[in-house]
Amino acid sequence: MKNKSAQLKIQQMAFMLIAIILFFALVGMFFLTLQFSKIKESAGILEETNALLLVTKLANSPEFSCGESFGTGKTNCIDSDKVMALKNNIKRYDDFWGVDNIEIRKIYPKNNGKECTAGNYPNCDIIKIEKEIITSEYSKYSNFVSLCRKEVFGDESFDKCEIAKLMVAYDG
Amino acid sequence: MNKSGIEFQFAWLFGLVVGMIILILAIYAVTRIIQTEELAIDAQTAKEIGVLLNPLETGFESAKTTTLILPKEARIFNGCSNESYFGRQTIRISQRSFNKWTNTDIDVGFSNKYIFSENFTEGKRFLIFSKPFDFPFKISDVIYITSSNKKYCFESPGDEILDELSNLGQENIFTENCPEESIKVCFSGNCEIKVDLSSRYVEKYSEKMYFPDNSMMYAAIFSSPEVYECQIQRLMKRGGSLASLYAEKTDTVSARGCNSDLKNELMILSSRLNNTKQSVNVNTALINDVENLQEKNKNAKCKLW
Repeated sequence: MKNKSAQLKIQQMAFMLIAIILFFALVGMFFLTLQFSKIKESAGILEETNALLLVTKLANSPEFSCGESFGTGKTNCIDSDKVMALKNNIKRYDDFWGVDNIEIRKIYPKNNGKECTAGNYPNCDIIKIEKEIITSEYSKYSNFVSLCRKEVFGDESFDKCEIAKLMVAYDG
Repeated sequence: MNKSGIEFQFAWLFGLVVGMIILILAIYAVTRIIQTEELAIDAQTAKEIGVLLNPLETGFESAKTTTLILPKEARIFNGCSNESYFGRQTIRISQRSFNKWTNTDIDVGFSNKYIFSENFTEGKRFLIFSKPFDFPFKISDVIYITSSNKKYCFESPGDEILDELSNLGQENIFTENCPEESIKVCFSGNCEIKVDLSSRYVEKYSEKMYFPDNSMMYAAIFSSPEVYECQIQRLMKRGGSLASLYAEKTDTVSARGCNSDLKNELMILSSRLNNTKQSVNVNTALINDVENLQEKNKNAKCKLW
């Protein structure tokens, strides 16, 4: 009889222990999920801040900026001729800026809303420096810029600058 | 009597053993969580530093000192690799925790950044400034990171550099009344960091680092030879790519009657820059050709850059 009662006590203790371990495991898992979601959240915030700062930086980076080719150095000025050259060599710049897509949209004056290609440039409105197909899940950030190029009228060359929007998208 | 004694002892023994196992497991789990948390903080700080450096690369903040203060004593490890096309800048942070340096192996990487510093910079306050590197067109803004613990004493650097350093006003750079513990940077004679302006090289840790202009001179002064050589190769590669973009641009502008006649020279420059593997290749001949190209672009009907 006593032997049976001891067995019962051991059984009780074993069940209790399993329950305690399960409880702590669940609490631990809940805590870890919270921690990981916090890390994911801060990674997201950093990615967002990066994209936000990058959109300002991008217009002034050497692959985009006007430099001094349109007079003195200008900020937030994009050389569209250079960007078209970049578009043709974009494979080399794979993941260089850490964003998934870069797009320049002419705002004023508008032409025909068409995407720029070697054939229709400069009579077009959108220069897509495309890498990924952008879906609605992507976060987009933009900045107003002047989009400049050289034009010739008769024998005289002149600078033509238009208002555009530089947009970057990343998977966020 | 005996049996109940055994039963009592067994219950206690069983409880103790299992309790100890649970405690050990709990301590192990907590230690692992703390380690993971430290890793996450290190990685997050490294990424934050990288992101915060973005405004320094716009050109607006050129030759201005920015202070970065970290909550704890930390080491910023500057990594550079040339494996991908444009190479990669990596930042790794190790923070002091319970009098020990955290052992992080998470590198946060950026392809479009060029940071010049020692292999690792230690401290709580870091002083950062940037300068554009033009060769002959702008290649990038380069960033210099030093710790406020390390003081640099520039001995008779010449008017141009003296003016620049005075305007910079960085607290750990001295041109007069240098503290005793400061690292000497001399422009004549011998010291820890020797700068030869006529032969364009900086000698540090018995190694010569060749520089084409002032921005790279500062880079050589503030960084270790390994970091400098790797970064100059990355910068030259980007320069080579930019040269080919400008060469392609000549076709577009020429089609509109705006010929600049620089295409061939740009193609040659592109290949020379792509093949620059060490700073010693940035020699007088290359620098002269770059200066000539700059002059030609200045006088061109349509400037390319």
